[in-house]
Amino acid sequence: MRQYIRKYVAVLSAVAAVFSCSGPLDLEPVSSISNASFWKTENDANGVLFAMYQRLRLQYEGNFNMMFWGEGRSEALGNNFGANENSIFWDNQLSKSNPGPTWTGLYTIIHHANLILKYVPGIAFTSEANKNNLLAQAYTMRAFLYYTMVKTWGDVILLTEPTEGFTPESVQKERTVKEKVFEQIKQDLDNAINLFPNNNFQAGRFLWSLPAALTLKADVYLWTGKRLNGGNADFTVALDALNKAENSDIALLSDFASVFEYGNKGNKEILMAIRFQQFESSENWGRVTYMNPGQIRPDFDEETTEAIGTTGTDGGRFSISEITRAQFTEEDQRKKATFYEVYTTDTAGNRQFYTAFCTKFKGFVNGGVRVYFDDMVVYRYADLLLLKAEAKNALGQDPSAEINKIRERAYGSNSPNHVFVAGSKEQNDEAILKERLLEFTLEGKRWWDLVRFGKAFDLVPSLQNRKEQDHLLLFPISESTLSLEHKVKQNPGYE
Amino acid sequence: MKKSRPPVAFFVTMLKFSCFHTFLVMISLGVTLAENGYSQETCSKTVTLSINNQDVRTALSALEKMARVKFSYDPAIVPRKQVNLSVKGEPLSVALEKLLNPLRLSYTVTGKYIILMKLPENSGTGDWNADIPFVPPLRELKGNVTDEKGDGLPGVNILIKGTQRGVITDVNGAFAIDIPDENVVLVFSFVGYLSQELAVGNRTSLEVLLQVDEKSLEEVVVVGYGTQSRETITSAISKLDTRVLENVPYANAATALQGTLAGVRVQTTTGQPGAAPRVIVRGGTSINNPDGASPLYIIDGIIRSDMNHINSDDIESMQVLKDAASTAIYGARASNGVVIITTKSGKAGKMQVSYNYSLMTSEVGQFYDLVSARDFIKFYRLGVAASAEKTPARLSLLTQATSGGTGNDLSNTTGYTTQYLSAANEHKLKEGWESMPDPLDPSKTIIFQDTDWQNIFYKTGISHNHTLSASGGTERATFNVGLGFFKNQGTALGTDYTRLSLNSNGELKLKENLKVFSRLIYSKTFQNGVVMPFDRDRAQTVAPTAKYRFEDGSLAPGVNRRAQNPEYVLNSQSNKDTQDNLTVAVGSRWDLLPGLSFEPQVSIFTTIADSRYFQKAGYLAGPVTFNDTRSASASYAKLIQYQTDGVLSYNTSFKNLHNIDAKLGVSYYRRERSDLTASGQGAASDLIPTLNASSTMVSITGSESHQALLGYFSRINYDYDQKYLLSLNARYDGASNLGERHKWGLFPGVSVGWNMHKEAFWSALPRQISQLKVRGSYGINGNIGGLGDYQAQGVYGVGLRYGNNPVIANTTLANSELQWERSKTIDIGVDAGFFGNRINLLFDHYRRVTDNLLTSLPLPHSTGFGSILTNLGSLENKGIEIELMAKVFQGNSGFQWNVSLNASKVKSKILSLPPNGVENNRIGGFNVFDPGKGDYAWLGGLQEGGRIGDLYAYKQLGIYATDEAAAGAPTDMIIPLADKTKYGGDVNWMDVDGNGIIDTRDRVYVGNTFPLWTGGISNYLSYKNFNLAVRLDYTTGHIKYNWSRAFMLSYYGTLSSLPSEIHDSWQNQGDQTAIPRFFWADQNSQSNIARNGDQPDSGNSLFYEKGDYLAVREVSLSYIVSSRISGKMKISNLTFHVTGNNLHYFTGYKGLNPEDGGQESGGYPLPRNIIIGARVTF
Repeated sequence: MRQYIRKYVAVLSAVAAVFSCSGPLDLEPVSSISNASFWKTENDANGVLFAMYQRLRLQYEGNFNMMFWGEGRSEALGNNFGANENSIFWDNQLSKSNPGPTWTGLYTIIHHANLILKYVPGIAFTSEANKNNLLAQAYTMRAFLYYTMVKTWGDVILLTEPTEGFTPESVQKERTVKEKVFEQIKQDLDNAINLFPNNNFQAGRFLWSLPAALTLKADVYLWTGKRLNGGNADFTVALDALNKAENSDIALLSDFASVFEYGNKGNKEILMAIRFQQFESSENWGRVTYMNPGQIRPDFDEETTEAIGTTGTDGGRFSISEITRAQFTEEDQRKKATFYEVYTTDTAGNRQFYTAFCTKFKGFVNGGVRVYFDDMVVYRYADLLLLKAEAKNALGQDPSAEINKIRERAYGSNSPNHVFVAGSKEQNDEAILKERLLEFTLEGKRWWDLVRFGKAFDLVPSLQNRKEQDHLLLFPISESTLSLEHKVKQNPGYE
Repeated sequence: MKKSRPPVAFFVTMLKFSCFHTFLVMISLGVTLAENGYSQETCSKTVTLSINNQDVRTALSALEKMARVKFSYDPAIVPRKQVNLSVKGEPLSVALEKLLNPLRLSYTVTGKYIILMKLPENSGTGDWNADIPFVPPLRELKGNVTDEKGDGLPGVNILIKGTQRGVITDVNGAFAIDIPDENVVLVFSFVGYLSQELAVGNRTSLEVLLQVDEKSLEEVVVVGYGTQSRETITSAISKLDTRVLENVPYANAATALQGTLAGVRVQTTTGQPGAAPRVIVRGGTSINNPDGASPLYIIDGIIRSDMNHINSDDIESMQVLKDAASTAIYGARASNGVVIITTKSGKAGKMQVSYNYSLMTSEVGQFYDLVSARDFIKFYRLGVAASAEKTPARLSLLTQATSGGTGNDLSNTTGYTTQYLSAANEHKLKEGWESMPDPLDPSKTIIFQDTDWQNIFYKTGISHNHTLSASGGTERATFNVGLGFFKNQGTALGTDYTRLSLNSNGELKLKENLKVFSRLIYSKTFQNGVVMPFDRDRAQTVAPTAKYRFEDGSLAPGVNRRAQNPEYVLNSQSNKDTQDNLTVAVGSRWDLLPGLSFEPQVSIFTTIADSRYFQKAGYLAGPVTFNDTRSASASYAKLIQYQTDGVLSYNTSFKNLHNIDAKLGVSYYRRERSDLTASGQGAASDLIPTLNASSTMVSITGSESHQALLGYFSRINYDYDQKYLLSLNARYDGASNLGERHKWGLFPGVSVGWNMHKEAFWSALPRQISQLKVRGSYGINGNIGGLGDYQAQGVYGVGLRYGNNPVIANTTLANSELQWERSKTIDIGVDAGFFGNRINLLFDHYRRVTDNLLTSLPLPHSTGFGSILTNLGSLENKGIEIELMAKVFQGNSGFQWNVSLNASKVKSKILSLPPNGVENNRIGGFNVFDPGKGDYAWLGGLQEGGRIGDLYAYKQLGIYATDEAAAGAPTDMIIPLADKTKYGGDVNWMDVDGNGIIDTRDRVYVGNTFPLWTGGISNYLSYKNFNLAVRLDYTTGHIKYNWSRAFMLSYYGTLSSLPSEIHDSWQNQGDQTAIPRFFWADQNSQSNIARNGDQPDSGNSLFYEKGDYLAVREVSLSYIVSSRISGKMKISNLTFHVTGNNLHYFTGYKGLNPEDGGQESGGYPLPRNIIIGARVTF
């Protein structure tokens, strides 16, 4: 019997030995990083910095959220043929069940900005300048996002800490009144402006820099000056910021189309652009605004066929509206660089309008297919100039110098026919607003311009008979957001 | 597309992985086959030895060395005694007799092994010290052993009682044995039959009939880490009747569970060959993915997450453990039930080789009912005109190169045939094109060609299944080898599944108390999926006017990615998708003491998925864009699972009344997953499909992750005279991926039973009730199925770039509090037998409450995260299960009819959710008017007291017959146009709140996506040599959103064909119908059909259809060739069969597949299979 017990004990201790090693269940991730091992080095911080931009880029690709928030509801866009899947925007038919893009993606970026602002101060960097530069970008990014949101929904949930712990109660937040949100935006921008080490651009001009932050600041102050009764004080701040921003390495390119060209990324007109790159992102909205291969007809004339060239796999989902196209003149080099009108000839020999497709973001041809990877411009020098004209006009100063700079580039040798001479404040504003349309169509700005100038109900056909329904200046909050954010109430008028 | 798949590679891989295994199988084979030949040789070896007063063991070891043999014996039978032995050049047999006879030991020789046995006490009275005198046999006795049916029984052991002498019957049951004297008694024994003793007397021949041992027919059920007789089981376990596996060649054997086991819901969601069905036990325990709550699979003791790529012919038994008491022994991951599968292994005494072949033809079970090209053009043009009433720009579609537009021509630049008749194209009418007047302008003639795309996309699939197996063994060694080859062709173009499988195992008794076994299960699969997705407008439903071939005879590509010519796509791709699956296990059973044994098993399970994809240059996005990007990608994914188990078992009886069976074990599991994927583009030609041809790198990625689990478990089964039954189970489990403080969990289970028919008082009860057991169980199970490997720690993910800079993004919120999901199940059951157990009934009623549900909780959008995995709330599943088996006709008439029926009902309810300050702690849901309350309320979604899967939609009351009738309609806010006027042909929506406005608050409950009742009916009839099996199964209570139907009727994608149902649509003022007027892109017109995009909620109530069905799953007629004929051919069994599978669905559902609740978005239709097969056993 003893020998069995001995055998037995031996077997059991062998088994025990196999299983008793201290931590067979303590496994560290191999291909990802856990919270515990993160936020230790400068590299960690840089990784999250680029995550912020990469996620911002998502708002310009995929469903093209930035396009629909910033321009979709303006008079700039219209149906292409029967494809009116997005007409809900320019027809201004948004409702809580058809609310347009939700704010989910924007808060993801805010979360990353908040992570940087929380953890980076505690990390040792090789140089203090690098650290400040990184923090400044995070502040600018947060300001840009809250500015985008407050323009879109009014009051928003204001978070300045990352989402880390979780309890069902702690994640429910109320909206903060827009005045408070603007305070935060302005404070973030001041922090950023103080932290940027110099007035230089970052390489490639696809990251936030001091000139870009200053332009954003001016944009914000113009908005609060006009929409929140900030008045002259705000306009003065805006003008001051623009003057400082202008004192950097920027210029207007003489060829308007070249500002957006794939091969000319990061050119001198750019203050800040979202970097698009094949194999790194999906395509920008050039994908859906260029000519659709299915709409090509065998009877197009040679010039049209040449102008279209190779198409992509999609296109023609919406187009520039007729009333907007009509405002461009032949002498304006921006016309050709913005859209192309296609005509067909019917059996009777009459020339008939067929469609218009957008030429601003035409990408390049790869493997027999057009792909759309032009950078999407957030701010460029022309924007700075027109914001400056707007600020000057608001302060009662003469905005014609800035406007004429734009026109000189646009009309080239014909510019003497298009010299702007200052008129009344209203007339000047009207001219500035129209110039912005011609300059920035399809850059995702028109709707906010209309709201800032208070002209949405005048210029958008689908709003003309809906004056005084001021709630339409904001977007509704989606039902899916409401069902998850219990403390958030629908924007009045959209219930 | 033919690919060579050399079987050589298959065997090389197999050999590489299985050296040890093969070695062991060889030994078993060797021993088994060579036994008799070698015994002679061994015994005649000469030995010279002299031993004086030494211990018996010393003498034996001396003999071992001298004769190069090995002794094997139970130490208890060899006495501690001093012996003398002296032999000089004598045969080993003589030496052995001299040594062993005085010790009252005998021996048998098995190759090199000499096994010592104790002589029976009563065996002879002769002087064992003397040499055994040679007794000449009296005579030879011949005879036959048969079973009840009169068929010869091969392999029956016949032993002369009291000796070791005996013979075995041959293939036909015949035997011949030398009889030493007339007093001889012969003992006939055979597994599964009652042993019989016969005195020979003066007979010279014997006809022996062996009776089936009824006790051996008693169902034995494989439970966790062991087996148990049905008689003593106290928990809820269902066992598959393996006849289900016989006739249908299953690409995935889980399909065999469909409708055959109560409480197991199996839904075939796709007809793709080789695809796994959905298996859900007792409704599953998940709140946000109830269809993903798959059970744990244990295949020969090895834990797996699926049972893919197992050859159904290799399966010996399949059972499902359902209640918590039975699954507690697998505690950690057993919440969703456990499916235990054992594969076939060799049996002592039986040697057989069998071959099984079947030929299967597969046809599409259900096509879409689509219109002809003529009707298509008519409705297309009318639909565009209808849409243009509010959106005039649409009219241009009529002249564009669209499916119903006339902008097409005969060139290669337009995708459709639709065009006006002209001098240039009139010759086409002679080539089979058709013509019709333009419905919008009858003065013009439209010509077109009608193509039935379903006919191009589907064909008859031909499949072959071969299985060859050999098994056999002796008391000392058994083996089994099975080889399978299954080539399963799908009904959709280019789809197939090929499986090479090998199952090989052997067991060797090294010593009387030590067995070693090894198993190898290997399969290699090749799979080709559909060349283009099935959703909605693709492939099956391309518009009938689309060009199939251009004028130059080349294949037309189709117009864009959503409406391509499937033949063109098939030719433009080159894909490979293979998988290697290998299980290797080595184990042992070591009987340490009487009743006490130790069973260790070590195993490796590995799968390697290897795939590549190449897109050749072509017109991939319509006929004008030639795309020569030539995308190529390849991926390699590997999973390795290591598992080590050790189980100590002890069983004993006291006074033949108290029976105890106890187990104690430990199990360690570690899983490693790794993968590599790369993609590139820009190859110069189509000739090389692999990545080396790419000129541009697109992406490279790879990852690795690990999981480890460690568990200690125990079970004690006790019964008192099989009357009072008790079973205690427990497992203590730890998992690496749980939160730091919650890694370990204890999962106990207890069950009790009372075999009332064993009580004395039972005789007083009506005799019709032959058996009655009541049982009850309670247990706690765990589950971490939905938990990622490192989710609890929070994840910063990598792999993306911005401007060439690497991105590190916070992708998963940490939750260090993550812990085991726990389900508690109480189960009350009855096992009853009636009329001498001709009718058996199993009944269970259970209630399972799952707490700490591992649920992905949707987070407020402002957190920046979509969701976080939490232990959220609790869910109750309540249900009943009935299994009834009846032998309706049986016995003498030769006609037999067995029926088994099963039915199960499950209802789920959300009991609690984490407090979030909202009524019922609701998450999601629909804000609608609740007529019961007379106020608006949030219904559906997840809320306490509610169910999962409730659907809400707009209720269609009818169709306005005229414009006047529509004039007073409530304003429909869902119409996306500024002009919301309604006309004749539009839907009359129910204005639930009666406010004159139709908006999202006017939605009503239209059903739930999960079924209430599932079950099946199996009939087995036999008459003489014919057997007929008829199996049906059914599911009721689930609602399906028929999105394919809504999609086509609303012309949502603007590229598809149209369903024939459109003929019933409203067309003229006054039409009375239930189908609204047809609009081109209805969702952008009057929104009569698709009102919430492609989402499964908030559509038109008309398209929420009941999925209730009764399926004729299998009808199989087989014929067993009579043994007289087959016996002459030296064949022990020859069976032919004809089988129909998935023959018909009785259902009101209008889509392709009623089985799966939720939303239908096209999909691979289920095939209807006809199989003819033969099985031959030698």
